[in-house]
Amino acid sequence: MRAKPSSMTRRLIVGLTVATMLFWIAAVAAGALVMRGEFDEVFDSALQQTSDRLMPLLVEDLMSQTSDGGPRQTLASSAGSESYLTYQLRDQSGQVLVHSHDAPAEPFDVPLQAGYFTTPNHRVLTTESVSGSLFLQVADPLFHRREAMAETAAALFLPLVPLVPLSVLAIWWIVRRTLAPLDRFREAISTRDGGNLAPVALAGLPAELRDMESSVDRLLDRLRAALESEREFAANSAHELRTPIAGALAQTQRLVRELSEGPVKTRAREVEASLANLSRLTEKLLQMARADSGIGMSDVEADLVPIIKLVVEEFQRMRAYVGRLQFDAPKGLSMMRRIDVDAFGIVLRNLIENALFHGAEETPVIVALSEAGVITVANGGQVIPAEQLTDLVKRFRRGRTGAAGSGLGLAIAISFVKTMDGTIEFRSPATGRVDGFEVAIRLPSASDTRASPIGDRP
Amino acid sequence: MRILLVEDDRRIGSAVRDHIAADGHAVDWAETLEQARAFAKVASYGLVLLDLQLPDGQGVGHLRDMRARADRTPVIIVTARDQITDRIAGLNAGADDYLVKPFDLGELSARIHAVGRRAGAIGPDLAVKIGPVELLAAERIAKLNGATVELTAREWAVLDALTSRPGAVVSKSTIEDALYEFGAEIESNAVEVYVSRLRKKLGPEAIATLRGLGYRLAT
Repeated sequence: MRAKPSSMTRRLIVGLTVATMLFWIAAVAAGALVMRGEFDEVFDSALQQTSDRLMPLLVEDLMSQTSDGGPRQTLASSAGSESYLTYQLRDQSGQVLVHSHDAPAEPFDVPLQAGYFTTPNHRVLTTESVSGSLFLQVADPLFHRREAMAETAAALFLPLVPLVPLSVLAIWWIVRRTLAPLDRFREAISTRDGGNLAPVALAGLPAELRDMESSVDRLLDRLRAALESEREFAANSAHELRTPIAGALAQTQRLVRELSEGPVKTRAREVEASLANLSRLTEKLLQMARADSGIGMSDVEADLVPIIKLVVEEFQRMRAYVGRLQFDAPKGLSMMRRIDVDAFGIVLRNLIENALFHGAEETPVIVALSEAGVITVANGGQVIPAEQLTDLVKRFRRGRTGAAGSGLGLAIAISFVKTMDGTIEFRSPATGRVDGFEVAIRLPSASDTRASPIGDRP
Repeated sequence: MRILLVEDDRRIGSAVRDHIAADGHAVDWAETLEQARAFAKVASYGLVLLDLQLPDGQGVGHLRDMRARADRTPVIIVTARDQITDRIAGLNAGADDYLVKPFDLGELSARIHAVGRRAGAIGPDLAVKIGPVELLAAERIAKLNGATVELTAREWAVLDALTSRPGAVVSKSTIEDALYEFGAEIESNAVEVYVSRLRKKLGPEAIATLRGLGYRLAT
């Protein structure tokens, strides 16, 4: 089973949406990273300024105080309030001399060395003074920075939430609108049956499709010309072959009539019979070649009922079949089909000829049309077993009738019906009878959806 | 009946001409449309056998021209073109029948007979009874008092002309037209000779002579 082909529209919508989303996320992530760097610079600068201002104050304060041996808490702010920055003033040995009210009495876990250091929870700036005997360490808790970063990132990401569905809708609308001409083009081609070779001729196609449309129209043109020349060739070659055979046959028939009974006349009769066979076989082979070339459909709708009447009347006029052929159709019935009428004529002639040739002479051959659009050709005769029915449709296969057919008639009919997207069914006994053989053809009308090709074959 | 055969193929043309002549018809054979037009100007035909593809044009065009001139002469198209569309074109142009080559000469005779009969150029197929004489034109059987009488093709041609309009007077020139094609040597008393032969075979009362008017089948 073939997998369902993927939709270009769907792929474009999904692809464009995913790509847009990824670019947006990447852009927001890059923005957040840049912001983080900038935040670090701003916070570090604040640390530096605080440290620059605190150092002289603390040194002066320390000089004016007498040491009691323990670290002092200074610059206490209002009780319970939380400072963004904490600090420790330490001596060379690392002992904390002074610290801010919410700084721990224990020294920060950073080396006594000028510069920035980062602990798991703090960013610490160490500056030195009084010739390297005092070190001021100002610490900034990292959660401030993280909080600022999180708020900024949220501010950048949050607009994406409504923007994603809006983008999907916008992309869907743009893609559908852009691909609409492609849809029209596809529709114009895919809804055609095999016989419609008219130019696509769609107005308002974009430049990309216009080239494609021109190419398709050129191809259709070439196909039309090829089919036309195929038809011409079939008709002309039939004409060119028939004329000399007709001349030879007519002269031989004259000879037969002008000769007295005897061995020469018998020989002339043999020649006449051979020429008649050659004539039949030539005609069948030309028809088979035509059927194999696939000319069954037409872009012009035609009523098949008058064609059927014409063919039936032609057989009725033949002296060999006078009184043997009946036509039965509901009054006023029309059967409009996009079928090549010449091809249809060949199908019908073969079926009627087959029925007249192989059917029992004492029973009529009935060509009937039904309201449902089924054409049947039925003849009397022995019931044909199912396995023989299968064989009959093969080329050069004759039934056990003793009649000298070419063995191609039914095969030609099948090939043509196939090119007409129709169905052909063989039944024995014929419908409503206990004997005989019947062929039923159903050809799709212009309004039908495409019928399945040949079906119900025995 | 006098028949115009329009056929450019010599083999077919000569065989058809000989065959329908043997059936008792007078045949003029034109190999081109121009020749056919020239023949039609000087003779009146009971039927035309018309090929479609001729060296100087299409038979269908010629047929349309005939019908446009209100020429109702029955026409049988005899062609190698067998497509339905060709048949439709031929019949729409005004053909009375359509026969596809190659054909059986017997079939051609039957078609000529059927079309000629429909057009009134040949008498009805029904048996014609004139006193002791019985004529079965379709089967070419003539009987006198129940015994079969052999008649020649020319004699049948005279009878066809007379039975085509039962009871009506048929002029001598009409019978001559039915008997002879162009170029045939016509004796001035040919019709009288054949009528006389027919009277001998079928009885003196079978055909009546109306002086200055023509002949009539006895009723």
